[in-house]
Amino acid sequence: MNIETTATATKTDVKNHHGGKFLSFFLKQEEYGIEILKVQEIIGILPITRVPRTPEFVKGVINLRGKIIPVTDLRSKFGMEEREETTETCIIVVQTNGLEIGVIVDKVSEVLDITDKEIEDVPTFGTDVSTDYLLGIGNTNGRVRLLLDIERILTAQEVVQMQEITATSEAFAG
Amino acid sequence: MQQVKRETILALNQTRNQLSSLDPENKEIIIHAGAGLETALEEIPAEFEDVSQTLILCLQALQAIYQDQAADFETALKAILGALIASEQSLGAPPNPISELMLKQARTTLQKELDRGAADETLADEPPAFEVRLESLDDVSSFLIQLELSDKKGLESVCEALKTISVDEPDKEKRKLIVKAARELTKIVTGKAPDADAAFGSVSELIDQANGQMPIAAAPAAVPEPAPEPKIAAPAETPVKAVAPVPEVAPLKAVPPPKPVEAEVPEVYEPDILPVDADASLVSEFVIESYELMEAAESALLALETEPENVENVNTVFRAFHTVKGSAAYLGFKRMTELAHHAESLLSRIRDREIRCAGGYATLALRSLDTLKAMLNAVEGCAVGGAMHLPGSFAELIGVLKNPESHGVNDDNEIFTAPAPQADQTEAAADSFSMDEILEEVLPAVIAGKSDFARSSLLNTGDPNEDVNKKSHSHDSSVRVRTDRLDRLIDMVGELVIAQSMLAQDATVVQGLHHDLSRKISHAGKIVRELQDLSMGMRMIPLKNTFQKMARLVRDVAKKCGKQVEFITEGEETEIDRNMVDLIADPLIHMVRNAVDHGIETPDKRQGAGKLVTGKVKLAAYHAGGDVVVELTDDGAGLDPEKIVAKAISKNLIESDKGMSENEIFRLIFAPGFSTAESVTDVSGRGVGMDVVRRNIEAMRGRIEISSEKGKGSIFTVRLPLTLAITDGMLVRVGSERYIVPTVNIQLSFQPNQKMLSSVTGRGELVSLRGELMPVFRLHQLFDVRDALEDPTEGLLMIVADGRRRCALLVDELLGQQQVVTKTLGQGIGKIPGVSGGAILGDGCVGLILDTAEIVALARQNTSAHERAERRDDSQKQAA
Repeated sequence: MNIETTATATKTDVKNHHGGKFLSFFLKQEEYGIEILKVQEIIGILPITRVPRTPEFVKGVINLRGKIIPVTDLRSKFGMEEREETTETCIIVVQTNGLEIGVIVDKVSEVLDITDKEIEDVPTFGTDVSTDYLLGIGNTNGRVRLLLDIERILTAQEVVQMQEITATSEAFAG
Repeated sequence: MQQVKRETILALNQTRNQLSSLDPENKEIIIHAGAGLETALEEIPAEFEDVSQTLILCLQALQAIYQDQAADFETALKAILGALIASEQSLGAPPNPISELMLKQARTTLQKELDRGAADETLADEPPAFEVRLESLDDVSSFLIQLELSDKKGLESVCEALKTISVDEPDKEKRKLIVKAARELTKIVTGKAPDADAAFGSVSELIDQANGQMPIAAAPAAVPEPAPEPKIAAPAETPVKAVAPVPEVAPLKAVPPPKPVEAEVPEVYEPDILPVDADASLVSEFVIESYELMEAAESALLALETEPENVENVNTVFRAFHTVKGSAAYLGFKRMTELAHHAESLLSRIRDREIRCAGGYATLALRSLDTLKAMLNAVEGCAVGGAMHLPGSFAELIGVLKNPESHGVNDDNEIFTAPAPQADQTEAAADSFSMDEILEEVLPAVIAGKSDFARSSLLNTGDPNEDVNKKSHSHDSSVRVRTDRLDRLIDMVGELVIAQSMLAQDATVVQGLHHDLSRKISHAGKIVRELQDLSMGMRMIPLKNTFQKMARLVRDVAKKCGKQVEFITEGEETEIDRNMVDLIADPLIHMVRNAVDHGIETPDKRQGAGKLVTGKVKLAAYHAGGDVVVELTDDGAGLDPEKIVAKAISKNLIESDKGMSENEIFRLIFAPGFSTAESVTDVSGRGVGMDVVRRNIEAMRGRIEISSEKGKGSIFTVRLPLTLAITDGMLVRVGSERYIVPTVNIQLSFQPNQKMLSSVTGRGELVSLRGELMPVFRLHQLFDVRDALEDPTEGLLMIVADGRRRCALLVDELLGQQQVVTKTLGQGIGKIPGVSGGAILGDGCVGLILDTAEIVALARQNTSAHERAERRDDSQKQAA
């Protein structure tokens, strides 16, 4: 009971722009971070099966040891151009609130501690990512990382999906 | 609230400690303790009425001691201490029968102590000596001899003593005698007895009777200790039971012959409340266990009807009720305990050969089972702190159970008649339900943590030969595993199979240069395959339980319709996926009901037709060609094609039966709203049954076939896949993508030639196959596949059915048939139209399983949207 309470407390703390352990990765030249507690595992790129009639950023589904999980391309989610896979391309399997989703990133960098002090508020412009999806900006030893609210991004996917579907049905109707 | 409770308990504890070392002369401590009690009283939450009352009595008793009015300082103090302990315990634990009982007894003792004190006041100079002595029946009878009829005070105290003794009396029979004696005495005291002398005589006689039967061992239990702890009292009983030469357990054996019950005032039964702090896992454990017991009991009961002499079956049923009673009492489910108790009484009469398990008695036992099941259901669905719903017939059922004979139940009649008027009201109390008695019976078992206590004592009943018999009944030991874990295990084994086959197909191995390696890999392959078989088998459970339910159904429906039906099952050990078991029960119920209600004729008709009076309904299951076949055969009237056709025409289902085969005609009964039964009964005839049956079976990817001969009977054959988890699929290629189409959905596939194809308004495409025109939908268009074949004559058309109409799907090629395990695509992706799930293909990639009905709907929507768009374009052009 006690352990559980502390665990939830930590989670909420992190949400409230508090420091902790983050996994950092690259998209283009930009370095991002997501809370390590939400990362289940990192796997190399696997054959992805495209799923028709889904939004652009849903790459498809993969076979994660017998379990089928969907994979999202963060690049296309953030409106960046697509890129060929390299040996460094990775899928970060994120598990949060019962969702299990793979996220494709260019390169995984490191796990690092970011303290409260090192987290700055999000500037209103200057990144490819809408500030809604950021927890803050981590500034450690002069390196800047955009800390993603991955849960928000994955929920937002739902919203975008809805819009897409409405858009397509409108297209049919129109 | 919890906090308050804890404090109160602490305060009570303190007070008790103070009092335990009380000196009658030390008034200080009494005052102190009294003050402590008063504060505690204020703190006690409202729902602990009982505790408050007890404490008030304690206070009064303390006061009496303080004023030196107590009859006996020692006993009064003991009573107070006992009451305090009881209060503390019931505050500390969730409401349960044990603490309630303890409180009640504590209150009685206190009240008695107080009354005695008051009596001493009035009869100041009469020593209260006899009171203390009246602790056993011996004392009472010797006191009675000395007693004068005019001595009201003395009579009253005897009466009081008898009541106390009766509470502690373990033997039902004796208790009844004692209670009766007490009643007589009360009559004398209140002057209601017509002949006081005669009444007095009968009292002594009754007491002597009771006393004469009393075994010496039981005597200590009759000492009216203040608030005796049942926990201590009960184990004292067990040794007696264990060594008793009689096979039955003493308290159980003494089931009285049926006696009229106290006035048939319709009692109001308050539903039980699920305590807020109830241990959820304990409760759910209880529900599961009880369900299993009830299932076992039901089949045993049904078996009993055919062979009433089978002692083992009676014991099974008895044990089931007994265990449920014990556990329910432990959890504080009073109503359930009550019902189980009364049912148990009925069964013990059956066991003692007093009545036969047949007719009304059997129905009554089955009804109790059903009601108990319904109550278990209610427990499951009950929120914490909520009231458990009581089945509507609960009160009535209890009434009937208490005294079946007065309700007209016997071993050959079927329907309960109106309750007969009640005669004697005096016998009641002893016969009616008493919590003490149950606690006495079950507590040792519950406390010792072995609810199978009854088993150990009951199994001694039969002769040693029965042991052999029993072995055949015993179940293999098993472990309960959560389904999701099992599913995961099966997933992992599936992965292992794929990983193994990838290894086996690796170039290094295939080249055949490494003999040793190949050998090892093929060895591993064998193990993996065996593991796969095993893991698939773990999901399988036999159809036995489902068939058992049907046996019950046949019995009930046959009784209702006044028909005689013999029910035969075959192959009930046939195994089927556990998900399917639940799904198949529903359609089977409909089918079996129909077979009995419509199929089997009434005895008169059967006799007229020269058949045996007893109809036969047979339910059989077997494996055939990878399917499970369930066959329902009846030797009833059979289906009448003419009647069906006439009905179908009147319902506008068909225009005429021209060109219809018999089989096609029979299939009409699956149409919605179709029923040939002349009248709608509460059993069947509403015409929804067979429609539901067909739909349920098709939902399981099964098929149903009918063959029937008028006047001879019908056979309904249901073919089901072994498991729902595995889909028989056709792997198709569209461009560079692969999809799985369930084989059952594909009617036919072919490569069309140019002549067969035509197009409508340049957009819609049609194919003509043997004179039938079908729309063509291109899968690659719907799914936006870029590198697929555009020319239908190079690809393949798959004919799929969309309700009644058929249409063709264009794919590039068929890659082959494959059995796949259906999985969801994961929560993160939601529902994709046209895709019912995914599966891991042989090479480890994910293949999507198509839902053809959805795809067709999607395609139709698409084309109609296109058409509309075009029409608008045209009209715009015209306008321009």
